[in-house]
Amino acid sequence: MAFLKAFVGRCAKCDLKTRLRAWLLLSAIVLFGAMKVCAQTAPQPEYQVKAVFLFNFAQFVTWPSQQPSDAPFVIGILGDDPFGSYLDETVRGEKVNNRSLTIQRFRRNAEARNCNILFIGQSERDRVAQILSSRKGRSVLTVSDIDGFADLGGMIQFFTEKNKIRMRINLDAVKAGNLKISSKLLRVAEVAH
Amino acid sequence: MRISGQVTWQFNIRRVCVVIVLVVASAAVARAQELYAYTPPEELKKLSVEELLDVDVTSVSKYPEKLSEAAAAVSVLTQDDIHSSGVTNIPDALRLVPGLDVAQVDSHTWAISSRGFNDIFANKLLVMIDGRTVYTPLFSGVFWDTQDVLLADVDRIEVVRGPGATLWGANAVDGVINIITKSARDTQGLLISGGGGLEDRGFTDIRYGVKLTDDAFLRVYGRYFNRDDLVLSNDTGAHDAWDMYHGGFRLDWDSSSQNSFTFQGDIYTGQEDETYLVPTFIPPFATAITSTDDVSGGNLLGRWRHTFAADSILTLQAYYDRTVRDSPIFGEDRDTGDIDLQHRFALGDRQQIIWGLGFRVTHSDIKNSVNVAFIPSNRTLTLYSAFVQDEITILPERLRLTIGSKFEHNDFTGFEIQPSARALWTPGHEQTIWGSISRAVRTPSEAENDVRLNPAGAPPGFVTIFGNPNFDSEELLAYEIGYRVQPINQLKLDLTAYYNDYDHLRTIEPILPGPVSPSRVDNKLFGHTYGTEISATAQPFKQWRLQSGYTYWQADLHREHGSHDTMTEQTDEGSSPHNQFFIRSILDLGWNVEFDSTVRYVDVLPFPKIPSYVMLDLRLAWLPRKDLEIAIVGQNLLDDRHPEFAPTFIGTQKSEVERNVYGMVVWHF
Repeated sequence: MAFLKAFVGRCAKCDLKTRLRAWLLLSAIVLFGAMKVCAQTAPQPEYQVKAVFLFNFAQFVTWPSQQPSDAPFVIGILGDDPFGSYLDETVRGEKVNNRSLTIQRFRRNAEARNCNILFIGQSERDRVAQILSSRKGRSVLTVSDIDGFADLGGMIQFFTEKNKIRMRINLDAVKAGNLKISSKLLRVAEVAH
Repeated sequence: MRISGQVTWQFNIRRVCVVIVLVVASAAVARAQELYAYTPPEELKKLSVEELLDVDVTSVSKYPEKLSEAAAAVSVLTQDDIHSSGVTNIPDALRLVPGLDVAQVDSHTWAISSRGFNDIFANKLLVMIDGRTVYTPLFSGVFWDTQDVLLADVDRIEVVRGPGATLWGANAVDGVINIITKSARDTQGLLISGGGGLEDRGFTDIRYGVKLTDDAFLRVYGRYFNRDDLVLSNDTGAHDAWDMYHGGFRLDWDSSSQNSFTFQGDIYTGQEDETYLVPTFIPPFATAITSTDDVSGGNLLGRWRHTFAADSILTLQAYYDRTVRDSPIFGEDRDTGDIDLQHRFALGDRQQIIWGLGFRVTHSDIKNSVNVAFIPSNRTLTLYSAFVQDEITILPERLRLTIGSKFEHNDFTGFEIQPSARALWTPGHEQTIWGSISRAVRTPSEAENDVRLNPAGAPPGFVTIFGNPNFDSEELLAYEIGYRVQPINQLKLDLTAYYNDYDHLRTIEPILPGPVSPSRVDNKLFGHTYGTEISATAQPFKQWRLQSGYTYWQADLHREHGSHDTMTEQTDEGSSPHNQFFIRSILDLGWNVEFDSTVRYVDVLPFPKIPSYVMLDLRLAWLPRKDLEIAIVGQNLLDDRHPEFAPTFIGTQKSEVERNVYGMVVWHF
């Protein structure tokens, strides 16, 4: 009881130590609570931005209309996922042309079928040429931040310049995949030839 | 027993404490490396591609809201802020902005200002909708009744308190309000909303957005509302009901990777009940006339944006705007054409230059009455302007200096120069300190030159107020400092303090000695105002946001030698509240239920004598499906009615704001 009173400061008998201890406990609880709030799995800021870019690509890129319009729009992640739950939160409840969005994660290239967008993680760095050649001419928007991705035949490559994200787009690869990228994106991206 | 029990208890507590502190500390250390700032995806999704590319991905708090890095007192009201408040018109939305003073005078008239000098004819605030100036040269203020947009299509409302004249030109003296609607790309599909209640008798919005090609998007919209009479202090109806029909479109087209175009337009017409007290030749020299005034207008705007490179962008914009008002005491047809060129580019690594040219021509045709007349009743005014501003990075990521000036030529006072210097210092990632010195002028309005106003209560001619062709610009030299800090991820604070030094403020000088005399507009008031604005936003939990603002304002004005105007000093010092405070909670209750509440306190207005008031607004919304929202909104719930302002110059009635409850349904698919 004295301890509780120490919190509210109305305990005549409580000495400084008890009070101090009480406050220490309270601060610990508050700190712990605050940590829990903070501890939403936040990826690095650059991947928060990239996640939102992946979502934006769904709007700024036009796919040939082969899929049934009620099938979900799939963003695939091949290899290690740098986004945590952030990408899932980004697309939650969103729709693209009336299709809901889902995120699928794949360990192997062969599993990654039926994606509209495929993000290729850093773990696939050594296999990237192989992955891209297996997908050549397919209507899947390939995206990665692996060095040299666009020049190897990937469609959109992220890179960082002066602490800001930049994009490099391989238009031949995009064309081969029968995709069309909005000028809004092209305007701000670098084009690989 | 008791003693030993306590010893054990303390012993345990000590252990528990030590364990918890250790666990938390070690967890904190372990996580310090990998714990990044969490920016909710909703925030990032609001950004354009260009803005996303501008996010600094190394720093935590360099939040993509670019305005938060501005060396000025800036607040942004987002679509989310507007929507969650349930407001149905722009003035009510502006009540949510820290530092603005919004007072309703009657059902369709508002007095809105920032940093003092509030009035129905407040003249130191510049207001723009999608780059179109809606500030009228008639009285250098805004007719708020006709500034109407489909609120669901508003992207954001940016409010700059303090002078913005270097970029925006004369009349951006104490603030700039910039209402920005969404691109047609972002308003696709059909939106139907409607509702009604006590004061909002009925309102409906319909918008349809369509994709024309992969790069061209169009929206068309229509809107109607009907608002009830307010009441007078004796509880009788005020005869100020009104309604408005409004239609419009916006087309956004990215014709190539370098060029994008926007075309937009509006057309509206409304009818407003009003009661005027007008002068007569027989005692009591006043009579009330009731009328239904007509207001209508339209505008058409085109904008071309050309990107030479990511850091070199040219914008060319032109618009035409027509407004028509007709009442028994006054009528006005106004046509305005405006063309503006703006170019922003980087000069080396350290400098960002923005420069522009503008030309505006406005023609008014005024219908006079015994009560209000303009001589001449026709005027064509031209305005030429140019500006240049250089943003210099002195220490990368740390210190930035912005200097610039506007140069304008107007038909009343000729050339006006409005320079400013601003510095922004970012000592750490979570803190920003800025300061500025700027000069702004408020150029004369047509009324101040041309008016002949016969107020009710005296035979026409006895106390007439005459305009003055030699009326000069009002001048301001403003000193501002600000501090923004984000001490923890969930809390942002923004503090501003300013000292404004005014000269040549408007007075109305009696021409003859004695109590009854005609008078003439002059520039014989000077003095200073000072104040502070504090705002805080907090998000203790993902589902709960808090916003609050406190505004303090004080004025000390004096008459020049030879001034006999005993009124203006009192009205200018007394027409804005010294203290204002609001706190707002936006809570997601789960189960698709949202609950928004706002409490607002506004201090007394010494002149016109208005008591202080506290307002409570609530909104409860239920989203049974993703595309459907049902909401009930209550405004001003704490009292039956209260006055917020009183008419000035024109003898309309002093209405009081009533309790308002309405329901609304929004269907979006």
